[in-house]
Amino acid sequence: MNIKMKGLLAGLLLAAGQLSAQQTYKTSDFKPHLEHRIVAGFNFGATAPAGLPNTIRKINSYWPEFSPSLGYELAYRITPKWGAALGVKLDYKGMSTKDEVLYFPTIITTDDGGTFAGDFSGKNKTTVRNAYVVFPLSATFAPNNKWRFNLGGYAAWLFSSNFYGSVSDGYIRNGGPTGGKVIIDHATFDFGTDVRKFDIGLQGGALRKVGNKLEVMGNLNWGLRPVFANDFKGLDFPLYNIYLTLGVAYKI
Amino acid sequence: MRLRKLCYVAVLAGSLQACIKDAPMNPEADIETFTIDKSQLTSDVFIDQANSTIRLYLTPEAYATGIAPRLSLSTGATVTPASGDSIHFDTGIRQYVVTSASGLNKKTYKVEVVNVGYWKWDFEKWMINDDFKYQYPIDEDSAVTWSSGNPGIAYSGVDEDPMAYPLRATTDAYHGKYAAEMVTREGTVLSGWVGIKLFAGSMFLGVFNIENAFAKPLEATEFGQPYKGQPLRFTGHYKYKPGAQYQDKAGNIIPGMIDSCAVYAVLYTGTTRLNATNIHNSDRIVGTAYLPDGSARENWTRFDIPFQMKRKVDNNEKLMMAIVASSSKDGDNYKGAIGSRLVLDSLEIIHE
Repeated sequence: MNIKMKGLLAGLLLAAGQLSAQQTYKTSDFKPHLEHRIVAGFNFGATAPAGLPNTIRKINSYWPEFSPSLGYELAYRITPKWGAALGVKLDYKGMSTKDEVLYFPTIITTDDGGTFAGDFSGKNKTTVRNAYVVFPLSATFAPNNKWRFNLGGYAAWLFSSNFYGSVSDGYIRNGGPTGGKVIIDHATFDFGTDVRKFDIGLQGGALRKVGNKLEVMGNLNWGLRPVFANDFKGLDFPLYNIYLTLGVAYKI
Repeated sequence: MRLRKLCYVAVLAGSLQACIKDAPMNPEADIETFTIDKSQLTSDVFIDQANSTIRLYLTPEAYATGIAPRLSLSTGATVTPASGDSIHFDTGIRQYVVTSASGLNKKTYKVEVVNVGYWKWDFEKWMINDDFKYQYPIDEDSAVTWSSGNPGIAYSGVDEDPMAYPLRATTDAYHGKYAAEMVTREGTVLSGWVGIKLFAGSMFLGVFNIENAFAKPLEATEFGQPYKGQPLRFTGHYKYKPGAQYQDKAGNIIPGMIDSCAVYAVLYTGTTRLNATNIHNSDRIVGTAYLPDGSARENWTRFDIPFQMKRKVDNNEKLMMAIVASSSKDGDNYKGAIGSRLVLDSLEIIHE
């Protein structure tokens, strides 16, 4: 009985496979080919923790920084539906946020060897604007000639970094919750030089044809490597680059 | 398109907001205020938060009978002995233990009764702060009556080394083994974040309120200790060498400007300390003794400054005496020359 079932299943699969192969063969005179695209857009998203820690009490505002993305994609269509794509692009990933924190632990180390460890309660404003050279690699799937989906990963090298902001209307406690309290009216910080030089992550999205050569594009990029190294203690939780690119692709 | 972008942003911001977790339990365990009747005080109570010490300046009667302070604490925290309980200074119980609302943290405050016995200092005894390694002088009877900017500078990320701080002991003494040395130093990267580019060397009779160190630095230096009597002269010995280049608050060098030191004593009425905002112009001031010339003195130089009194003081009056010294006269506004060095020894207030 078991053997019979398996045999039947194998037979069916084989038949289906042959049928689809025949169909492909019949319906087009497809040849594997290369496609070139210029892709341009803007990044919207955040350099953010995967979940907010309880020391962040309120997000008062958030806005994307001017974060353009421009690049070139080389795609290779192996079958009418399946292919692969490799790109190179210049990606700015940026945002600003204003939030309120409570007992937020931080250890700040400065170039002159100074260090301060303590808990901050108060308002924070942070601006992030990092620029990367990104190499995305995807598998592509085009169910019809309107849509193309892609899924893969990326590797990114930082070439310019900004991670700065200010804290205000609060206080910091030296060493932790029972340490001496110092009121902070306004202080600035700059962790730009602490941003990691390399990021990898997952990315996936879709292209939709809107003209002869023009497509609109949406692509989510999710960094898997914390933006700061583990020995950086300015924040006690990891941040990841999570950005959605919205833009256009132009076939060349 | 623009509308759509805005929608995405709204969705993102909204989703972040939804992720806000419950607030953490209050982990803080401060005594925020410590109140006793003003008639029992010779000077306002000082809660030295940096060193978890409550410094009391009591009338002899209050010291003999004990006090029943009312305490206020960090939200949700508890304390033993309780607020309102009497404490007596002969029983030896001289501490409060505060437990945070979260139950995780305890903070123990020592209670110290401070008295200025002799108005004469040779700066022979120095202590080192355990956490930050800065030095501070203590009186012959071990009372802590002098303070300086050191506790604030400690929070600015300087090296944990007594010599990294502007006030320290030196063996370059006029009398005895040690004298007090003040050297103006550059700010740190961290102090730059709050706009401070220079730390003047300073010392003063009084207390340093760490809470105001960055937000209101002029109010952090609280000058004065309780005083009784009729002061006549302020005497002492000093050396002074200005640093090479004078800089303004922004750190710009001002050519031709030469730093000078400040040494002065101010007598005033009341129990609330004056600070750097009003030590020169408060209408509570009854007498002053300013070093008239703060220019360079290569060798030990004696000063003997008569008090300029506005009026005679009453024996029953509550009075405070401040002595303030700085290696950069305008150091309270973060102006001066890095390297300016003032050494002080054998100070005395001579009374009638």
